[in-house]
Amino acid sequence: MTPKTRMLTILIPIFIILSTLPLYAPAYYISLSIIIFMYAILGVSWIIISGYTGYISLGIAAFFGIGAYVTVLFWTTFPLPLPILIVLGGLVSAFFAAVIGFPILRIRGPYFVFVTLGLSMLLKYVFEVYQAYVLKRVGIPLLGPPSMEVLYYSLLVLGIITIVSAHVIKNSKFGLGLFSIRGDEEAAEAMGVNTTMYKVAAFAISSLFMGSAGAIVALRWTWIEPHIVFNPMITFQASIMALLGGWTDFRGPILGAVVLVLIAEAFGIRYPYHYLILLGITLILLVKFLPMGLIGAIERLRIGKKQVSEVKDAGS
Amino acid sequence: MEWETIWRILVFGLTIGCIYALIAVGLNLLWGTMRVLNIAHGQIIMLGGYTAFWLFTLYHISTFLSAVLAAVGGAALGLLIYRIIFSASLRTIKSPEAVEVFSLLIFFGVLILLENAACLVWTADLRGYVYLTQNVEIWGTPLALNRLFASLAAIAICLGFYIYLQRTLFGKVVRAVVQDKDAAQLVGVDVNKVYRFCFCIGFAMAGLAGALLSMLYAITPFIGLPYTMMALVVIVLGGIGNILGSLIGGLLLGLIITAGVAMTSPAFSLLILYGVFVLVILFMPAGILGRRLR
Repeated sequence: MTPKTRMLTILIPIFIILSTLPLYAPAYYISLSIIIFMYAILGVSWIIISGYTGYISLGIAAFFGIGAYVTVLFWTTFPLPLPILIVLGGLVSAFFAAVIGFPILRIRGPYFVFVTLGLSMLLKYVFEVYQAYVLKRVGIPLLGPPSMEVLYYSLLVLGIITIVSAHVIKNSKFGLGLFSIRGDEEAAEAMGVNTTMYKVAAFAISSLFMGSAGAIVALRWTWIEPHIVFNPMITFQASIMALLGGWTDFRGPILGAVVLVLIAEAFGIRYPYHYLILLGITLILLVKFLPMGLIGAIERLRIGKKQVSEVKDAGS
Repeated sequence: MEWETIWRILVFGLTIGCIYALIAVGLNLLWGTMRVLNIAHGQIIMLGGYTAFWLFTLYHISTFLSAVLAAVGGAALGLLIYRIIFSASLRTIKSPEAVEVFSLLIFFGVLILLENAACLVWTADLRGYVYLTQNVEIWGTPLALNRLFASLAAIAICLGFYIYLQRTLFGKVVRAVVQDKDAAQLVGVDVNKVYRFCFCIGFAMAGLAGALLSMLYAITPFIGLPYTMMALVVIVLGGIGNILGSLIGGLLLGLIITAGVAMTSPAFSLLILYGVFVLVILFMPAGILGRRLR
């Protein structure tokens, strides 16, 4: 079997199970799947910027939150059809990413990490002030949200689009350019890669999916406040899931999301602090001992140490 | 604005600025010498704050005594983290950028770990206590004694450490590592000893600052991150590895935030902090003293 057919033999059954799940599974599993889908989408879209180019963004919550807020504000004041709302949430988020991308993607290394984290905290407080002084209430209640099945299928479709995009980008000239930025930005620039445009495009595409995911998930939550949708924990969890799974292709974040959401479901509700402590320790151990993630570790076992070290050299 | 208001902003801004400076100097020491980015710096401050709070509440121990204990505890924690995680990794990871990203992610884990451990052990309640709240007048502006003493202690430690770095042989060695690690190693500097020293002093300063801050503000497990952000702004303003720059930057940021809050409302303080943070990194990455990073 070629890798392509092998991948299809795995993916097609998964797709069939997932697309028929609401027909027979209890509501609990649907709502659990919604959380897994949300983090999988956030993780996969995160690797489009952070995995491919090496620009580690801690601003996931910012783009997720913008999508969520735009959709909810429209939903409560001027209800458009759901697909339009989702696309709108994603586009506003992507537009914001493109605008701020030009100044902030010039900044490298830790400064970029800080500025994305700072920006998402800044947005959280801006929206808090907006809530308090313009809307004059703490949050926005959501009346008549779509049914859980509708949201489930929306996330499934969005998830497939995200995964296909991440995969297509990785294997395209665009993706090669992004990986060359990760390897050596000056060399990439000298070879004729328009690094600024590449980075901004990757940043905007990843924010498009994050914003759309925020738009859908916000409709699942019936109460929206800045504190919830701009919660830095969303950033932390999504990026740790991607790091856990492996962050050079789409399989890593999905694996990480499944593993960590299930762990969170088992412990997180009854022992939230224990779960988060475990998450912190996981991150430390991962960074120290498993920098390529679970997928990287599996691959290392499969193809032997020598080749992986070559991949690692090319990737880092 | 009246003269009296300006004077009040100056007094409050400079006193709190001294503590910001102490926090930033500790963080800058790790960043400047090793390129280690301790994003969990604020959580060490939080632990120092709880140390002082519990020692005062349970045994009525003066905060200035528990500040020393918090510093010792911080140093021990720094040494532990250095031994377990960094001493081997710093030898193998060569490029400064890789060290920055590695340490950032590691300390990110430490941040989540400490914050939630604190929630678990001490709950998320606000914890505060009353100590030395009598006012003294400074040319007409009333100032609480605890604020005055905390800022005097902070500035004394910053200046003392600066003089130590300038005047002693080991201080010179530390400054040499900040300037060029490889060259320092060539002339026989024991870099590991310097690293150990910086981890201890950096963490000790954070613990100490936390104890001092606990007199002024209530503590929760979540106070850490804004202080880390503050320290990062200060370091960017003053220059990486530049201790005097951090001192000036700390005082400046204290003034900016105090003035901002005075003109709007205390509800805006974090908004102002993060706004200044993003603006400084975007538009002044070289800092006020204008030394380029790379």
